[in-house]
Amino acid sequence: MSQEHRLLKFEPLIWFLFGQGIMIGSILMTSWLLVVGILHPLGIVHPDALGYERALMLASNPIGSVIVFSILALPLWKGAHHVRHFFIDRGYAEYDGTIGALSYLVATLGSLLALVAVIRL
Amino acid sequence: MTTRRKFVVTRFDPDKDEVPKTQEYEIECQDDWKVLDAINFIKDEVDSTISHRWSCRMAVCGSCGMMVDGEPKLTCKTALDSYGDTVEIEPLANFPVVKDLVVELEGFMGKFQQVKPWIMNAKEEAEKKAASTMKEGTYRQSTEELMAFKQFSMCINCMLCYSACPVVSNEPDFLGPAAIALGHRYNMDTRDGGQDERNQIFREEGTVFSCSYANECSEVCPKGVDPAAAVNQAKFNAVIDWATGLVVSRPAAKGDE
Amino acid sequence: MPASKAAHPEAMAPPTPGPTRTAPPMQPGSWKTSPRMKQYARFGLTGWIYLFASFAGIAIVWSLGSGPEAYARMQAILAHPLAVGFHLLALASVVFVLIRFFGLFPKAQPARIGPAKPPPQPVLKVMLYGVWIGIALVMAIVKAGGLF
Repeated sequence: MSQEHRLLKFEPLIWFLFGQGIMIGSILMTSWLLVVGILHPLGIVHPDALGYERALMLASNPIGSVIVFSILALPLWKGAHHVRHFFIDRGYAEYDGTIGALSYLVATLGSLLALVAVIRL
Repeated sequence: MTTRRKFVVTRFDPDKDEVPKTQEYEIECQDDWKVLDAINFIKDEVDSTISHRWSCRMAVCGSCGMMVDGEPKLTCKTALDSYGDTVEIEPLANFPVVKDLVVELEGFMGKFQQVKPWIMNAKEEAEKKAASTMKEGTYRQSTEELMAFKQFSMCINCMLCYSACPVVSNEPDFLGPAAIALGHRYNMDTRDGGQDERNQIFREEGTVFSCSYANECSEVCPKGVDPAAAVNQAKFNAVIDWATGLVVSRPAAKGDE
Repeated sequence: MPASKAAHPEAMAPPTPGPTRTAPPMQPGSWKTSPRMKQYARFGLTGWIYLFASFAGIAIVWSLGSGPEAYARMQAILAHPLAVGFHLLALASVVFVLIRFFGLFPKAQPARIGPAKPPPQPVLKVMLYGVWIGIALVMAIVKAGGLF
């Protein structure tokens, strides 16, 4: 079977993950980017709000760890899918088997890294 | 009242031209003309060698699709007075060009055939329905059931959506908006029993998931079919069909080894 | 209008060649200047931003799991103007993506899946925005020190 056809068998799953990456991932990412990435570093939010102990408590409890994992992993699938289409739109459709496989490999490895990052908390 | 306009028209004669070129025509246009009126005037009165397709003149046959100032339009429906003094006319984008403004249609026809655009297993479906919901009569369909797919049956095969689609432009295997919309029309028709087969085609060789939801097809559709909605509904159905197929075994579709 | 680019040479090709030579397919000339296509291109580019934002998030959580000193070093990096700038860009991308997605999502729901029917499109849109703003608000409050 050609590389393209092997990838095609996974397309429904990839598309589903991509769709969730857009919706759930983006919804969850909003507050992460706002507070963790902007308000807390700028001191607008009190430093202790995401100080070491509190951050660890929030991210390592059962519900928090699932949420954090989702914030880290789901956007990877939206990202990988769009990066793959970025190259297709620029005329590299011929290499889609390779580019697609690489993009989703990055998303898979990133998701595994995210899992490890959360587990080791 | 008339306005003088210049038309920059793509010309291509496979017997004479290596590559397409443009030819300019300056004519007096009536103020109520559509673009097609101008092209017909050029052919009738100025240059009879120009080739183009047209028929009904009232936006139901889908023959007269062309690029007008870079956008796909039905030229019988496009008023000239929304354009400037110079209008560029090209054959439909993303299609091979046979001559002048005439594009090769067989690729489009092939994609249509792939989605099996007919009611499949009608007798079996009717018998199933008669047993469960309807007391008598075959092919009974409520208004609500009709409305689930009616919009997608209004396509006039004008192919403007194929010219607007970035995926059609880059991925030759992609079925394209009109073909997927038509397949989805049959999938949503309660009289049809071919969903498994069509969903497999959508998922696999038809690559329905290649659609990147640019929504350009729906923006250019002259009949309000909204093919983007159809394609993305079809993706949803294809995922559910795929997931169900992982759990529930199905008889092999025709064509499987 | 700018000259158009060639489409894929096999785009809309017939299953068997026709009797005469054809000119190759071209992309629409308006794609380079069309505002809608520029929005579409921006939507695609957010993929790169999402990838980087995810990996940045993984680095942050990794530092949290590596002890207080590592976490403090990460906080210092996050306070750098470039880091804040990147997260601002990422936040703008997320807002852009969700607004576009919520515009397109309702009509992509099939009229029925078995017996189930989606809510009417305007209701669905309100639900989507409600869920987004609600969840984002609660999570932001928690992260900013409230509730727990």
